[in-house]
Amino acid sequence: MLRLFYGFLLLKCTLHGQSSIQERVSDSISAQNLEEVIISATRTKRQLSSLPLPVTLVSDDIIKRSGTIRVDEILNEQTGMITVADESGFEGIQIQGISSEYIMILIDGVPLIGRNAGSFDLSRLAIGNIKQIEVVKGPSSSLFGSEALGGVINIITTNPKSEKFSGQLSHRIATFNNQNTNIGFNQKVNNFTYSLFADRLSTDNFDLAPDLEGQTNAPFENYTFTGRFTFDLSEQFGIFASARYFNQEFVISPSNSEETDLNLHLRLDHNPSEKTSLQYEFYYTNYTTSEQFIDSTTNELEFENDFDQTLFRPEIRFNYTVKNNNTISLGAGYNFETLERTLFANDISFDSQYIFAQYDTKPINKLNVILGARFDNHSEYDSRFSPKISARYDISPNFSIKGSVGSGFKAPDFRQLYLDFTNTAGGGYTVFGKEVEVAGLERLEENGEILRLEVDPSDLGEPLRAETSVGYNAGFVYKKGVLTSEINFFRNDFKDLIDTRILAIKTNGASVFGYQNFNRVYTQGIEVDLSLKPFKDLLISGGYQLLYAYDKDKEDKIEDGTVFARDPETSQTFRLSMSDYFGLINRSRHTANLKVFYEISKWNANANLRVIYRSRFGLADRNGNAILDEFDDSFVDGYTIVNLALQKTFFKSYQLQAGINNLFDFKGRNPIASTENGEVLVNPGIQVFAKINYKF
Amino acid sequence: MKKLSILFLLFGFISVSCSDNDDNDPILDPVESEQMTNLPAPLTSNFGEPDAGPFTKFDFETGQITENETEWDIAFRGLAIAVNGGTSTGTNGEPERTGDAAAALVIGSTFNEVTTAEGLTFEQDSFMGYAIVKESDSGWYNYNTDTNVVSAIPGRVLIFRTRDGKYAKVEILSYYKDNPAEITSEIAFTDFRYYTFNYVYNPNEGGLDF
Repeated sequence: MLRLFYGFLLLKCTLHGQSSIQERVSDSISAQNLEEVIISATRTKRQLSSLPLPVTLVSDDIIKRSGTIRVDEILNEQTGMITVADESGFEGIQIQGISSEYIMILIDGVPLIGRNAGSFDLSRLAIGNIKQIEVVKGPSSSLFGSEALGGVINIITTNPKSEKFSGQLSHRIATFNNQNTNIGFNQKVNNFTYSLFADRLSTDNFDLAPDLEGQTNAPFENYTFTGRFTFDLSEQFGIFASARYFNQEFVISPSNSEETDLNLHLRLDHNPSEKTSLQYEFYYTNYTTSEQFIDSTTNELEFENDFDQTLFRPEIRFNYTVKNNNTISLGAGYNFETLERTLFANDISFDSQYIFAQYDTKPINKLNVILGARFDNHSEYDSRFSPKISARYDISPNFSIKGSVGSGFKAPDFRQLYLDFTNTAGGGYTVFGKEVEVAGLERLEENGEILRLEVDPSDLGEPLRAETSVGYNAGFVYKKGVLTSEINFFRNDFKDLIDTRILAIKTNGASVFGYQNFNRVYTQGIEVDLSLKPFKDLLISGGYQLLYAYDKDKEDKIEDGTVFARDPETSQTFRLSMSDYFGLINRSRHTANLKVFYEISKWNANANLRVIYRSRFGLADRNGNAILDEFDDSFVDGYTIVNLALQKTFFKSYQLQAGINNLFDFKGRNPIASTENGEVLVNPGIQVFAKINYKF
Repeated sequence: MKKLSILFLLFGFISVSCSDNDDNDPILDPVESEQMTNLPAPLTSNFGEPDAGPFTKFDFETGQITENETEWDIAFRGLAIAVNGGTSTGTNGEPERTGDAAAALVIGSTFNEVTTAEGLTFEQDSFMGYAIVKESDSGWYNYNTDTNVVSAIPGRVLIFRTRDGKYAKVEILSYYKDNPAEITSEIAFTDFRYYTFNYVYNPNEGGLDF
């Protein structure tokens, strides 16, 4: 892998040798604003400032100035978005209080797969050749189908515009021996463009539990290669092709694990007339993990866990513009999915087909209405119909109101349908996916392993339903002079969330678990965004989210007076009231950010300061009443992280950047993992970085 | 192993309300409210194996742990609570059931709110399992798989019929030695399988009230 990477570097040198013209693209914040175009909200090009939906756009410029190298780092600094670890420690992004499982991740409009127990680790995604990251909040299943309940994150790559050969080479070094090298180059040659990018990231282990033996975070090394090509065949026909490959290795000696992610995307664009456009798209993606657990004393292989998931998807889309500004969009596609996994009885395959339609209209000048719906037919569970309506009304040139109501769903995943797993090391319990629970229980029964069933036998094998949500967003936008402000009220109602239940008790006393549709939860709150640009070189922005996230069934139980807690000192049991219920785990009531970006033109330099706050949150129920309440000793105190970055350009093509993340060395305390032998931290503390970038 | 005694007197309901028949009523014994601390409930089996080993037997009448093979009401081993009524669930080391003890679980009440055993459905141990279901969230406890902590679920009261037809209510407070206020991971792995519980025993034949 390393050889391939250096080969890539060499290729760059050869190519660069042929090009003597150097170019420096001026980066200034002034380029953005009204020209910003979003494609994730409607799957057509739309001006950001005219959309009826809550959308966050992060430009390449802001990403680079912030000195961030992975997608999770930059999204973590946006209003209402926060990276959290789930109960098993898998990290993912939370938007409007909705966990990563329900947020779709796209690159150029096609979905990424490969999740850990539902969470998508955005630190897998290197930042290179990115034009912008678009985040559409609220359900978007009317366009994107399953998984798009809480929102859609779409990473848009850059289309090279310059006929000159250009690119960059950079190296960044940071605390914990974090080393990041990348190289990218791109060019437009007549009607052909290409962009190539390679990235290597490695880090030593670091430790969140300095007083305890061993390291909490293993060293890793990963590589990303991307290639992107466009070719205009004629006025009417164009081809887009892109490929991405990611490979990561973790070593917790002597055990090791490897992760790969491959995406191939091919699209033919056909524009028969000015009013009509067609897109034929093929997408293939493959995600694999391979883990080997080796006993450190005997050096014997304890067990292996392999995972190999593939999605192939042809899709066709058609857009037709009626009169001016009224657009009809139609689309249809077919998903072929397969999964091979060690813990599954058989290899699994899914088929699903879908169609969607959208009408984007301006019945009167000040009003924009978007109507959309999608129908998904699936081989393994009930088909879904997902409508959405959104509207925006411009009361004055400065002031607009907007709102949307949409439905979202998430199909039961492979694990919930097909898992067949007995944990012999961890107490002998068994977990069955829905589709294999009947056969699985019969098998255990025949082996004499079942003591008794805990559910009605007629209740077994009923298909799982998709998890569904309805999302409401409504707000105001006010823009005047140097000020842009936006306020959005949101509410997301989820039902049929899938959780485990006990199916049977085994003769060894352990349980047999199955999956079932259960929970009803909601998240609601307010998002506020303010941005101020008092003069050309200064941008000040602030954001705040107020969040309430609760389980409705648990609220009902508290209302019925059947939830209790026990005073740890006196052992006195008392009834909980609604105000004692803190809500879903890992949700902070308040999150906020304040960012200042300053361009010092005369020095050819820029500086920025970003302050990120999240209030107190709980990690788990610890007093046995199955809800997170004020009497659980599992709360992490609220904290603030301050990040700072400075950048200066030398000799036109060299850029030196230095920065400090977590300037005030916040470490925090994890109350669950900490013991009397040592504290476990929430954050490893201050991290310093320096980066040199050469542009050519 | 200490035994706290907070005796209080509760005059029988009948004797207070039916003053007309004072002369004919038997004199009732006082209902006893007690706390048992650090009742050990070890297992001889390893994690992941079927439970095995002898139970620690408890007698409500004396308020003591007992070695007696017949004069016991409930018995403890790990997370399992057996009653002296019914049959073995089939694991090794269970005591023989010689009496007519049984159990019911009241969900959603504080200990004080449960004032009678009237109207409850009592179950006995059988090959199908213990009368007090030995499972996280279904019986008396919650087991947190992330922290490995067993919590006695607050708001659950165990009602027992004793081997000889008397009644007692029990609130389990802790599964850890000395009922610590905070169960650290250290405690969770070393000082477990020690029951502390409150109980109220009505020593009167057929007396259902607490």
